[in-house]
Order: sequence, then structure tokens, then C-alpha cells
Amino acid sequence: MKTYLIFLDKISIFVTELAKEGSLYYSKLENGKTHFVAHHENISIEPEFSKIRTPENMKHFFFRSRDLVARFPKDKSPAVSKQFLVGLKNCDLRGIDVYDRVCLKWQPLDPLYKARRDNTVIISADCPEPEECCFCNLVGLNPYPDAISDINITRLERHYLFETLSKKGEVIIEQFKDLFIEAGKEDLKERDKIRKNAVKALEKFNARSLPDNISERVEKADKKAKHAARKDCVECHGCLHACPTCYCFLLSDYRKGKETERIRTWDACYYAAYARVGGGANPRSKFDDRFWNRFVCKFDYFMQYEDIYACSGCGRCWRGCSGKIDIREILWKL
Amino acid sequence: MEAVNPYAAIPAKIKKIIPETPNITTFIIEGMPIEFKAGQFAELTVPGVGEAPFTPSSSPHADDLEFTIMKVGRVTSALFDLKEGDQLGVRGPFGKPYPLDEFKGKDVFIVGGGVGFAPLRSLLLALIHDINDYKKIYVRYGARTPGDIVYKHLLPGWRKLSKLDWLLTVDVGDETWKGRFGVVTVILDEIPVNVKVAPAIVCGPPLMMKFVTQRLVEAGFQHEKIYLSMEQNMSCGIGKCNHCRLGKVYVCKDGPVLTWEDVKHVEEPFV
Repeated sequence: MKTYLIFLDKISIFVTELAKEGSLYYSKLENGKTHFVAHHENISIEPEFSKIRTPENMKHFFFRSRDLVARFPKDKSPAVSKQFLVGLKNCDLRGIDVYDRVCLKWQPLDPLYKARRDNTVIISADCPEPEECCFCNLVGLNPYPDAISDINITRLERHYLFETLSKKGEVIIEQFKDLFIEAGKEDLKERDKIRKNAVKALEKFNARSLPDNISERVEKADKKAKHAARKDCVECHGCLHACPTCYCFLLSDYRKGKETERIRTWDACYYAAYARVGGGANPRSKFDDRFWNRFVCKFDYFMQYEDIYACSGCGRCWRGCSGKIDIREILWKL
Repeated sequence: MEAVNPYAAIPAKIKKIIPETPNITTFIIEGMPIEFKAGQFAELTVPGVGEAPFTPSSSPHADDLEFTIMKVGRVTSALFDLKEGDQLGVRGPFGKPYPLDEFKGKDVFIVGGGVGFAPLRSLLLALIHDINDYKKIYVRYGARTPGDIVYKHLLPGWRKLSKLDWLLTVDVGDETWKGRFGVVTVILDEIPVNVKVAPAIVCGPPLMMKFVTQRLVEAGFQHEKIYLSMEQNMSCGIGKCNHCRLGKVYVCKDGPVLTWEDVKHVEEPFV
């Protein structure tokens, strides 16, 4: 993969050019925090990459909270337009990685997800200043991407360093080659130093690694441990909807004129009716079991299926939790 | 080429409706909108209402597709309101079929309860289709009352087959009933097959499944040869939505027929 430099003041020109080719969403600084926002015409784009991931999670762009997935009796594919996502962090990419495996690798593939994925250009960025909520290093990630995205950006002292990570990314750089110059060894050294500092900062927040055999420990947790883990939970289910790797959904049908529309909505295993069968029986009628299902799903089963955790270490679940439940604390206690 | 949409149902027409018991009905779908193997299931769509998973009760070799369904929830209630000639949707087939090749040359031991006999009928018809490939087929079936026995009209014909051995029981009999009394485990006292090699296939209400499985394990059947039709909440049918996961297996794509070996580690597999 190739590396390029662009002057700091030229990044705005680059993303504005991209916006002419499709919808553009990017991380923008607002009141000291970055948020993922849509670009609107005639507003200058100033993306910000220094902060951690945005509160908004990226699954919206591929797998919306409410999606029309089929029509009856005559089905037709929905139109999908091109989109550019600028400023995703490596934890966001873990979410997309999990979705790629479920929706593209596991057969049959999900055609709507595939169409959106094919029509999306992902431009990620390093995460130079991890915060207390971050623990991507505990789930096998670095605070900088090396896959999944098409281009990755690192902010250096005087430039942005672009690294192409896919063919799609190379095509884009080629298209705007006048804006870029090739990066040299010194630039890569500067990038490596920034990355090293980011890793150090992460390790400061997460000095202890997860216990050995965490999958087995999660699977074998006793009733006492499950109950203790959920004692501060107010059952708002916000953690699951804020999670970039949670992929549960429900199909429901609605009549629209003479047609039936099949709608896919996000679901969450904490809901009491989630596993309830037609006759009324429920294998997870107790909340302790539903709460723990999240842990076995993310740290045991998905690891068995795909050899990665279905957790990105983004900390959204903790930041958004009314009970301030920290997933790390629960895992460390096992 | 555009990818097939796995969420889209194929339109089909109800050819005939046959009431089996007061709350169990067989729906015959015209033609064969999907090709399936015994043990696989499909999602039936009631237009504008929703869909639910059912295992066909007809032979995979038949001309029409049949489902025998009990009225229990929202979708089945709407299904019971449909009439002959009405349209519905079929999506599938999903899941893995019974490994019939592994059953060949062996006795096959089938235990059913109530409407749980519906998917077993599909298996039974597939076995009868190639009956000389199997040593003997034993069917043990229990229903609540004589009125709750499904496929009564087919029983006389099946009883004539020398390679089929039948035993029926009802929880509560009436003046016409001349058979055995008690839950289905009462007719499992004697198991006339070689439990070391014979497959046992079970489908019925959860409590029945639990006690029958216990009995079969006690009798010495191999855990990986006890085939159980599992019921879990299903939505997508293709192993993505996560609803039907039982332990680490997905009932929709790894099942719906799972072996006792697959599920015995799950805290409460029968719900």
C-alpha cells in the first residue's frame, strides 16, 4: 500500500471534491467533541481527526435502525447511492468487520448490506489521543487502522499522511493526484512516533490485559457472577444500540396499499420478548440471563465463529450507561 | 447477476385446507414453490401480518407442499383466517435435513407428540419412499386425547406396511379408544432396536422432548444419534438475526434438527 502527503490546508479541498461525487459524512469538532455529521452544500468542510471516535456509531450507514429489506408479492431492490465516510477510527472498523463477516461472509449474503458496502468509500484516521473509555488494545486492536478502510489518515506536524489500504483508495488518490506528494521515510517515522504514543496512552488506561481463556470464563460464569454483573443495570438497553458490533435484528411485515413491506429493525437481546417463542415460552425469561447473553455472544461465541471478539473496545456502552457499567471491570473480575 | 434476496418470500396459493383437530390444520400449497429435504423448514408469510417458521409435513417427493400448523400466536391465527385460493408467501428452505444416508440399513426409531408429528410425517414419508433402504421403522406417538391425534385418515394405510411398527398412546381416552394410556414415555419401556447404532428422532412439545430425551439416553442411544426438532424464536431463518441461537449453534442454520450431543451442554435447551 502507498503513502502520500497533503498539506493541512488542502484537506478541505480534497473532501469537498469527494462530496461532489456522493453523500459525504465526516467527523466535525463541536463543543470540544467530534460528531459524525452530514455535509451540506455551501458549508466549508473542516474534518477533525485528533479526538476519539464520535458518539454516533457507523452501523447506521450500512445497516440502518429501520430498513426496508423486501416487498411482497413482488420484490424489488432499493436504490443505493454512493457515500463517503471520513474520520472513522479503528474501533469503528471493528464494527464494520463484524458486519462484513455476518452479512457478506456468512452465506447467504445480505444484498442490501453488500450494495451499501460496495457504494461506500471509508476514509479512516489514527486515534492519537485515546481516552479513559477506550480499550481497543484489550480486544486485539491498535489505535490506528491497517485494514477494512480504503484510505487511512494520520495527522503529522505539517501534513496529513494518507495511506491507501484498498484498490478503491488507490483509485481516489489517483483521481486527485495533484493535491498529493509522495511521503518519505521521515514522514513515516513521524507517524510511527505518534502511533507509539497513542499505544502508550491506551496502555496507561488499560494496564491489565483480559484474563486468559476469557471465552471459557464467560461461558462458565456462575449465577452469582451474572447477577453481580448486572446489579447496576437499569435495563435501558442503550449499550446494545450504541454498540457498533451488535447486529441482532427483527423482521416485521407491514401492509402498504396492496403490498407488504418487510422491515428490518435493530433488536437487542436484553428485551424480554427477544427469545420468546410463539406459544409464550422464553428460554431467557430472567434478566440475569439476558444480560449475560451479551457477554457470551461477544466474547465466547463470536470468538469461536470468527476468531475475533464482537467488541471494538470503543467504550460507547460505558459512556452511555446510566449505571456506569464498565465491561472491562466485569471481564477482569471473572 | 443480482444477488437473490434471502428476505423476499415467493408468492404461493393455498390449494386446500384440511382441519386435523380443533386447533390443528393442514394447509396444502399449490405446486412446490420451494424444493426441500426432510428436516428442513420454511418461513410462511401471511401478507400484511408477518411470517413464522414451519417444517413441511408433506413428502419432499410430493407434488404439493403441505404444512400442518397449530394455532398458537399472532401469525398462526392470521393463517387460520385464510381461505382456499388465498395468497401467502413461502421463504426457504432453511436449515439442515436429516442425514438419511446415515440411517440406511438401520432401524429408525421415531417418537412424536401432538402436533410435533407434523415434521415427522415429512420424514416418515421420505423414509417410506425408499423403505427398502431401512431395516424397520418404529413410530411411537402420543397425543392428549384421541381427538388430538393428527393424520387419523392416514393411519390405516400406514399400519398395513410391514416395515412400519406403530404404537400410540393418549393421556386421556374416551369410549372409542382401545389403545394405550399415558404420556408417550409409557410406550418407551420397550425399545426393540439396537440402541448402539439406531437413530432416534424426536419432535413434540418441550416437556415431552425433555423426558423422551432422558428416556432415550437412559436406554443407551448414542447422544449424536438422538435427533431433536428444536423450537426457538426465529426471525431471519439464515443465521444472521441471532434470535434462535441456542448456545453457540443457530437453530435456523445448524438445525432445526439438532442432536442431543449438540445441545446437551445448554442449560435449558427445551423451552
